[in-house]
Order: sequence, then structure tokens, then C-alpha cells
Amino acid sequence: MNAANFINRRTFLQNTGLSFGSAALLSQLARAEGLIEKYPGLSGFPHHVPKAKRVIFLCMAGGPSHLETFDYKPQLDKLNGQAMPESFTKGQPIAQLQGKALKVQGHLTSFKQYGSSGQYISDFLPYHQKMADDITVIRSMVTEQINHDPAHTFMNTGTAISGRPSMGSWINYGLGSESENLPGFVVLTSVGGRNPQPIASRQWGSGFLPSRFQGVEFNSTGDPVHYVTNPEGVDRQHQNALIKTIQKLDAQRNDLVDDPEIATRIRAYEMAFRMQASVPELTDLSGESQKTLAMYGAKPGDGSYASNCLLARRLIEKGTRFVQLYHRGWDHHGGLEKYMGICSKLTDQPTWALLTDLKQRGLLEDTLVVWGGEFGRTPMFQGKGGAGRDHHIKGFSMWMAGGGVKPGLSHGGTDELGYNAVQDVVHVRDFHATLLHLLGIDHHRFSKKFQGLDMRLTGVEPAKVIKQILA
Amino acid sequence: MKAFAFTFLLTVAGHAAVDFNRDIRPILSDKCFHCHGPDEETREAELRLDTYEGATEGGEFKVPIEPGKPDESEVITRILEEDPDEIMPPPKTHKKVSAKELKLLKQWIQEGAKYDEPWTYKNPVKHPDPTVRTEDWPVNFVDRFILSRLEKEAIPPSPDADPVTLLRRLHFDLTGLPPTPADRDRFEESFESNPQAAIESEVDRLLTSPHFGERLAVYWLDLVRYADTVGYHGDQDHNISPYRDYVIRAFNENMPFDRFTREQLAGDLLPDPTQQQLVATGYNRLLQTTHEGGLQEAEYRAIYQADRVRNVSAVWMGATVGCAQCHDHKYDPYTAKDFHTLGAFFADIDDEAHFQNGTNSLPTRREPEIRVLTEARQAELDSLTRQIAALPPDKLGERKKLEAQRKKIAASGRPTMITRALAKPRVSRVFPRGNWLDESGQIVQPAVPHFLPQIKKEERQTRLDLANWLTDLKNGTGGLTSRVMSNRLFYLFFGTGLSRSLGDFGGQGQPPSNPELLDRLAVEFYESNWDIKKMVKTLVTSRAYRQSSLVTSNLRERDPYNELFARQARFRLPAEIIRDNALAVSGLLVTDLGGSSVKPYQPNGYYRHLNFPPRKYRQDTDRRIYRRSLYIHWQRQFLHPMLKAFDAPSREECTAERPKSNTPVAALNLLNDPTFVEAARVFAERILKEAKPENLARLHHAFELALNRLPSDVERDTLGQLLTYAKNDFKKNPKSASSLINIGQTKPENFDHITLATWTTVSRAILNLSETTTRN
Repeated sequence: MNAANFINRRTFLQNTGLSFGSAALLSQLARAEGLIEKYPGLSGFPHHVPKAKRVIFLCMAGGPSHLETFDYKPQLDKLNGQAMPESFTKGQPIAQLQGKALKVQGHLTSFKQYGSSGQYISDFLPYHQKMADDITVIRSMVTEQINHDPAHTFMNTGTAISGRPSMGSWINYGLGSESENLPGFVVLTSVGGRNPQPIASRQWGSGFLPSRFQGVEFNSTGDPVHYVTNPEGVDRQHQNALIKTIQKLDAQRNDLVDDPEIATRIRAYEMAFRMQASVPELTDLSGESQKTLAMYGAKPGDGSYASNCLLARRLIEKGTRFVQLYHRGWDHHGGLEKYMGICSKLTDQPTWALLTDLKQRGLLEDTLVVWGGEFGRTPMFQGKGGAGRDHHIKGFSMWMAGGGVKPGLSHGGTDELGYNAVQDVVHVRDFHATLLHLLGIDHHRFSKKFQGLDMRLTGVEPAKVIKQILA
Repeated sequence: MKAFAFTFLLTVAGHAAVDFNRDIRPILSDKCFHCHGPDEETREAELRLDTYEGATEGGEFKVPIEPGKPDESEVITRILEEDPDEIMPPPKTHKKVSAKELKLLKQWIQEGAKYDEPWTYKNPVKHPDPTVRTEDWPVNFVDRFILSRLEKEAIPPSPDADPVTLLRRLHFDLTGLPPTPADRDRFEESFESNPQAAIESEVDRLLTSPHFGERLAVYWLDLVRYADTVGYHGDQDHNISPYRDYVIRAFNENMPFDRFTREQLAGDLLPDPTQQQLVATGYNRLLQTTHEGGLQEAEYRAIYQADRVRNVSAVWMGATVGCAQCHDHKYDPYTAKDFHTLGAFFADIDDEAHFQNGTNSLPTRREPEIRVLTEARQAELDSLTRQIAALPPDKLGERKKLEAQRKKIAASGRPTMITRALAKPRVSRVFPRGNWLDESGQIVQPAVPHFLPQIKKEERQTRLDLANWLTDLKNGTGGLTSRVMSNRLFYLFFGTGLSRSLGDFGGQGQPPSNPELLDRLAVEFYESNWDIKKMVKTLVTSRAYRQSSLVTSNLRERDPYNELFARQARFRLPAEIIRDNALAVSGLLVTDLGGSSVKPYQPNGYYRHLNFPPRKYRQDTDRRIYRRSLYIHWQRQFLHPMLKAFDAPSREECTAERPKSNTPVAALNLLNDPTFVEAARVFAERILKEAKPENLARLHHAFELALNRLPSDVERDTLGQLLTYAKNDFKKNPKSASSLINIGQTKPENFDHITLATWTTVSRAILNLSETTTRN
């Protein structure tokens, strides 16, 4: 929907005799039609010159094992099969292994160093090996929640209590939107791997922020956005005539009651009408070249992680500020080798393709790409159908790439068994503070009053920007 | 306090005197208390500014505040300081005292720096009716308080709304359903002869409607976070719908609010509790629960306790006691210990079986539960029990037959979670910094917050004691509870609370704009024996309620948030009412009361992210899909998209006020959701059936049904043009017409397809209007 369509609409309106009434009406409709005001963000934002303008968060839901991806610990192999030293585990929170004998599980894959940076990357991730010099791996992440649902909530909102805004909502609230036709926060999901963990819409909720900032989920089947398709028997022109009538009658009403909410509503109907065209257009991948499709390994309409990576690129090109992409098969309590194989095969190449594509298009400079789950996995063995690992929160890995992050860096580290993050520990709060910093936001100065408190994404405990990884 | 009374007089500077609770506490709370407030652990420089003693003597400073001498008070000099190491609040807080706030602080110190205890915890006072100049305006005491304030501000109240607007307002507010054309005729006629009598009799009629209970239940269910699923992880269904029906019935039967409180918190502890009183205790089971593999029971015990404390304090006390989970409250007098002693009241709730036996089935297992029969079935059951008892011992065959019947009926009830008390409650302790792994904290017994009136009892205090305390004016916190509830009822009928902070009556909340009126309402409420219908009637038969919601630019400038109530409120209807209204206008609405939750149309695949077990939405395929929206299956993790688009909450936490958004997603919903498309077609059928077969008569009838008025000339022309367009379009594409009119479960009636489709388009326009979805 752009200039050309508007001309068509005007012509169409004249042809069907839908003329405008008063001058006031005309101007209201013109505003709605031509100039949907983009929400400009909070005044004074960004606080400093941003390095990143937008974010793609590749969420590996279920908790991928840091010990089979990035965190190489020779000692783990040495102690394979032996009792886990109690010095590590005593008094620590523990999930499914509660009350069980704990023994060390060596790596279920091999590691080598790659690129000029010499980062360790496992054999499950051959495409990641090619990106060793593009990504900054944080090897010292810690979180506070050991079960999936609260751990996701913690990663997304900074607390395990329900009802707080997720980071995508915060960022759009602070920085405003760059698109007139698309939501600023879009969520995409794909499956494949071990029994996918459920994921609640609270993960993209706007909490106490206005609901316009909540994440909009794009569906891979059916309507890409709920009710974006006209009812059967109604074509775009017919729908246009209907919406124009509604807007006109609303404007008429507004002449009587002078209610700013009505003006907003007229604009919302305009935006709705535009989304009816822009969303299907955006989600239709058939216009992408064969070469691009092959690079991602995407087939239009298959709803795969590969297609979603491509969709993520298309979204940020159109001005969506925060895209969160969930792949939900990483909960490997057992059969880890098998399921790691499946998940890696589904995600490794497309992730590389996304980074490569962004780089080629010059978008990686100011787009931040984040990869990671809600927690990591234990150095200890769990055996639900072949060797696996339990949930682990005291040390795990994530990576960042693009806008404002030093490429090809290893940051922080865990102890000799990959249990506790010991060097340059990065709490989820620090991750949030860093993310906001890259987007030009000082997390201290980014709050919203709720129930009498100044709520922040980074909460009340101290949070720090990870300076060492900034470019 | 005598000296304080004088400060109400005008000061030398000519400004109205400063009121500590209204003017000063919010400033100190927001800018100072975080480091110089009630929380001892984080207090800086040993200085506390939340008490007179602290501010005038305490800390490392000689004179933090010198009453009568602002310029010699360190608090003021530090605000004015330029050195970043000295200035207060410190730059790292990113808080600044504004010029206006500084002026107020100075004036307050000048006037003696009088402190006052937080308004929230003082017992409400029955203020007498204020005198007003315009004697012919007020109808009841509510009006006198509002008008007296308006007269001080020299703002006149708004004129009365026209009778139709008023009628629609009453119907939406009290039943959530629109008036019919017959309602309108009756009301207009009686209004003409005596407006007040017409309003009162309409209100009486609506208060006895069963839909009144449904309307108030929508609000209550938000507060107590009622939902049909467990919320965490697999978000399986749990059995609770009889609790929802209990709430509806309680409002319809006008159960006194203190009894309503008692039955929900502690119905099981009442002597010989009735079945309904047990159903009411489902309240304690409404929180989110989980049996996710690998959960640590001790962690979830702590989580559940915190959840219950947050809810009970939010619903009854308007307090955010949840803030004191890890540390003393930063702004209010609640300590971390208060949090844990309040939690200890709930330590006897027997609900842990699910950690072991919770299943990934629908519904999951959440014992203890009872089965609840409808009244008719219960009567049958009782009769069978009597017959069996009366049988002679030799009639074995007969007995067997009756017992089989009895068993069948007993099993037909709806299961619902209830509260059962453990003989030996769980041990409760203070968790240092809220850390459940740290068992070094003190063991605590149930007790109410330390600074409020205490429950005097030797033995362990129970939930019943807590419930009684919440509604006990003399020995409890009944005054606060009454204020909180009165404020929320006021909000429901005026669009804004007297205190705008419906969920936080603490130091960071907004003090009431008309504290005398709030006090008076609170007193009237408990003095009436907590009579909700009486309170509602007082509010909606007031003159203030009758005002027009039109706002002049002058008034909007003077009072943008409508804190003086010189006008009524205009707001988008709540989600449930938007859908119910469309169904009612079309004639599709099914008005059955209560029962299991219902599943109307929902986009395919919407539950695809749910697992344990994987979920397939089984939409109902009978008339249940046209039932009122408060009965829609409330899936916490994926709330029905229509409800969500119009701001219904997921009900994970207490919601005292829903946001009122205005988004494209909501527009798409109202335009394209089959619920509304089908309602538009059935509405079209109704128009075609009931009106004379002329376009104008049809349009008039459509407006009468949807808006209780006739269309204006411009509306008539605009819709006429749409009608012409639609007709031509469908004539060209008759298949499209058939497609459109076949949307939905009901089969289209036998009308010409083109005509029906054309009127469906017109009906869609009418159902989408701002006016249709707005309470005026």
C-alpha cells in the first residue's frame, strides 16, 4: 500500500459515488489515509547514538546445551561417567535430577577452534563454524529460573512474575516505530526436535505498557495475522467501501462529540486496512530468488525456521524493530545427540544464511542478532532415552552479532566442568542492559510507573552494560 | 491535630494550605523514600523522611527539616545544590524535584512540616452533606460532595444527558446489554413526566435482572484472576467454573460484601459449610499452578504463597504487599515479615497433591474438588436419598435401583476446586531476600501487618480470622476494604475512581480527588451492612451520573482526567460487552445463566504452542457459541483473540483496571472475525424480517436496534451509498453474496441472496461504529 494504491482508492471512491461531506471530515480522513502518524517514541530517546536500530532475537527455546555448542571443557571428558563432585552441586537448585545420583557426562560431540578468532564451536554446528569471526559468544550467562516457563518469562521481561512487558515491547515503547504498515514487534515460531516445550503468549506481552506495543504473532498457516483476511465473499474493494463508510460515520460522530479516541480509531481502521495488504505481501516468499531460498534452505509457506529467518529479514527491511523467532525443540533431557542433530540441522544453516544475507545487504551494521535459549544444560548426565542433560542456570552460552558488537570474540567463561560461570559473569539483567545500550538507551533512565513503582526491564538489582563486547 | 486543622485556611501567600497526604507525601515518596523511607536495610545516612521524628531529628544531619524554616532545612538546600555529589535526589536516580514541587515543599515546611498518617489507614469519616449554592441540582449526597467541590472551582456540572444516552448507559453499566426499542419507548415516556422516578424504576428493574450479576462478575473475576486453565507450563484446564457461577449468584442475590469475603477466603472454616460456601473457597485455588517436570516443590510453595499474598492484598486492601517479598516495602509500612505472616494464613491450604499427581490431561488433576449439581438435580438427589432411607430393609431390588439412580445423578455434577484445611499447616518462614533456598529465616505464624489493628487470639489465627478482620471496622481493616471497594464501584459507573489508583492505595498511589466523598461512600457501604446493590443504586441514580459525557474544550483543559466529575465518562465498552452487544442486537444472544465454559469460533491453530498435552481447540457446535462472553473458556496462555484484542486480561494477576486500547488488531477483529460477520448477517435477517420492505424503513429499524435512535441525514446518505455499492457488487458477483451469507454456524434464512448480502454489509458497518462500541 503506497502512493499508487491511494490514487486508485480515490478514483474508486469517485466512481462509486462515495463522496466526502464536510471539510472537517475531509481533513480527518485525509489524515487517516495519508499520514498515519508513526509513534515517535519517548521524548529524549534514544539517549545516545545507537549502534543498532533493530533486533532479531533467535530464541532457541527449551535450553540448548552450552556443552554441545560453544563451551568446550576437556576436564568434562576426563571425568566422564564419574560422580559429579559435590562441591559443585551442594545446595544448588536442581530440576529433574532432584534426588538422583549425579554423574559427569562428557561432551557428546567434538570441538575445534575456528576462524582467526579461534573460537571453539562444536561439530553440531558446521555453519556456525563459518561464522566464528562474526559472532561474539558470551560463555558466562546466568539466569535465575530453572523451569522453562518462568525462565522464558525471566529472559523476556527480567522477572518471573507474570504481567510485565517483554523486551520487544519495551524497545518499541522507547524508540517508536519505523513502519506505518507493520507492527514494530513480531513473533515467529517454528518446531522440530524433542517434544517442543509450550510457549505462552505472555512471552511477547506488553504487560503494563499500552497494548499497541505487544508482539504480534505471524502464523505460518492460515491467516498470517488473525483476521487479516477479508470474510469470504468480500474483496478488497468491497472491504475498502465498508471501511471508508465506517470512517466517515465515525468522523461524523466526532464532529458531534469531539473525542480524540475517535480520531485514533479512524487511523486504526486505516492501518488495519493497510495491514490487510501489507502482511500477506510480506509473508509471501515466492518473490525471493531461488538463490536466496536455497541459501536459507527455505520453501515458501513451509513455516520452517529457515522460512522464518528469511521472513525476519523482510520484516526488518520494512521497519519492524524487534523480531523474535522461536525454535522450540531444544529440551534435551535424553537422546541429546539425536535431537541436537535434528535441531542443529534445522537451524544452523538458516542462521548462517540470515547473517550472511544481512551482511550482503549492509543491514548487519545496524541490526543486532542474538542467539540463545532460556538457560543451558547440566554437566551431569540425565538419561531419558539415551544420554541427555537437565536444565542448568548457573552457566550457559549465548551469542550476539551485528550492530555495535565486536565480531569474533569470546566473552567470559565457566569453570572446568562448565557448571558455574566464573569469569566475567553476565546475568540476564546485564544482557538486557547491553541490548538497550546498543539501541541507544540508558537502562537506568528507561522506566515506566506501575503500581507506584518505576518499573524497568533491568529491574531493581544492579545491572551493567558488558563494555568488553562493544565495538 | 488541632494545629493541622488551621492549615486548611488560606496561607499568607494566598495559596490554599498544603495537605500532607495530598500534596507532600507523593513527592517525598517518589523522590526520597527509596533511600530515606521505611526500608531500614537500604536507608542511607540513617535518615528517614517518612516520619516527623525522622525528618526533624534523625540521621547524620542537624536539621533535615526545620519546621517553619524552609531555608534552614537541609532537605531544601540539598535539592537546590548544584554539586552533583551533594544534590538530592542524586543524579543516578534520574529523579528531579520540579519547581512546583519545591514550592510545595517549602510552603509545607513554612507551615510547620506537619505529617499526617497515610489517608489509607485512617478510618473513614462520615462527613456530613456539604452545603451547596445550586440547591436544585443534587439528588443525593454524592452530588452534594461533587457539586460543592465544583462550586469551589467555579466549574458548573455538565447538563443532563438525553434520555436515550442515559438509558443505554444504565443498561451497559448494570447488565452489559443494550436496551431494546421497547425499553426505550417505555423509558422515554416515563422520563418525560418524571425523570428521576423513571431512572429509579429502570435501575430497580435492572438490579433485579440476572444479567446484573453477570456484569459485576466480569469485574470481580478480573480482580481474583479467575481462569479455566492452570497458567504455567502446559496450561491445562482445571475445574473451577462453579466458582464463577457462585460469584454471579452472589451479586444477583445481593450477598453482603463481608459475607462474600468470608465465604471465598474461608467458607470451609464456617460451621457446617453449605456446598455453595465450599464452592466459594475456589477463590484460594484460582492462582496459577504447575506440575512441570523438574519443578522444585519448595520453590513453588514460595511462589504460590507470594501469589496469594499479592492477590488478597490487592483485592481487599488495595495494597502492593507483594513488593515486600524480598525487602521491606519501599514506600508503605509493610515489612518483609508482614509479607510472610500474611502468607502464613494460607499455609493450611491442602493443594500440594498436584506436584505428584498433576496429569497432562484435560482437565488436569487439582484435588481437592467437589462435584456441584444444578439446583434441580440437587433436589432430585435429595429426594432419592430420602426415598432410600425410607425403604424397608427387605426391598433390596428397589434399593439397588434407587441407589444406581442416585449414583448417576451424583456423578453428573460439575467438579470444582475447593479449599480444604490441613490439620497441620505447613511451616512458614521469612525467606531472606525472598530466597526460598535460604532456610535460615525466622519461623512465623499467621498475623496481619504489624502497623494495623491486630487480631487478638491465643491460638493460631486462621483464614476465617483474616476474612473477618478484612471487613471488621473496629478491630480490623474494614474501613480500608470499604474504601477500596467503594472506589472501584465508583470507577465502574464514572469511568475513573475517586482515587485513580484502583490497585494501589499506598504512598505511591494517587490520593483521592474528593477524599470526603470517598470516605462517606465507604461509611455508607459498611453501615448498610455491605449492601452492594444499594451502593450501586446510590451511584447510578445520582445527578452526577446523569451528566452528559460531552466535554467542552475549557473543561478538558481545566480537568483533563475528569477528577472533579463535572462530566460523565465516555469509553470503549469492555471486550465481553462488545461481543455480547453484537449478539444481542442481531438477536443471536443466548442468555442462559452459568454452567461450563463455552468455546465460540477461534482461529485454527491458535493453540499450537500449547503442549502437555498438545491442544486442539474443540469449538462448540451448538447454541452455546452465542452465550455471553464471560462464559468463554479462559485460556491463560492464549486468551481468546477477540477478548485479548479488546484488552481483557490473561488473569495471571489481579487486574483492577483494564487498559482501553484502540488498535488495528481490534479493528481487524471487529471487521473480519466470523462472530461479528455472522452477527451482521443475522442482524440483516432481523432487519429484513421486522421492517417494512423499503430501504429507509430498514435503515431506521437497524439504527433503532443498534443505537436506539434514528439515523441523521448524512448517516442515511452515507449508508445509502454503501448499500448501492454493495448491491451492485453482489449483483455482479452473486457467488460472493452466497459466500458471505453462509459464514457462521447458523444457516441463512430464506431471503434473496443479493439483498441479504447487501444488508449484511450495511450491518457490518453499523456493528463497527464507534458509537456502537462506546459507552457514552
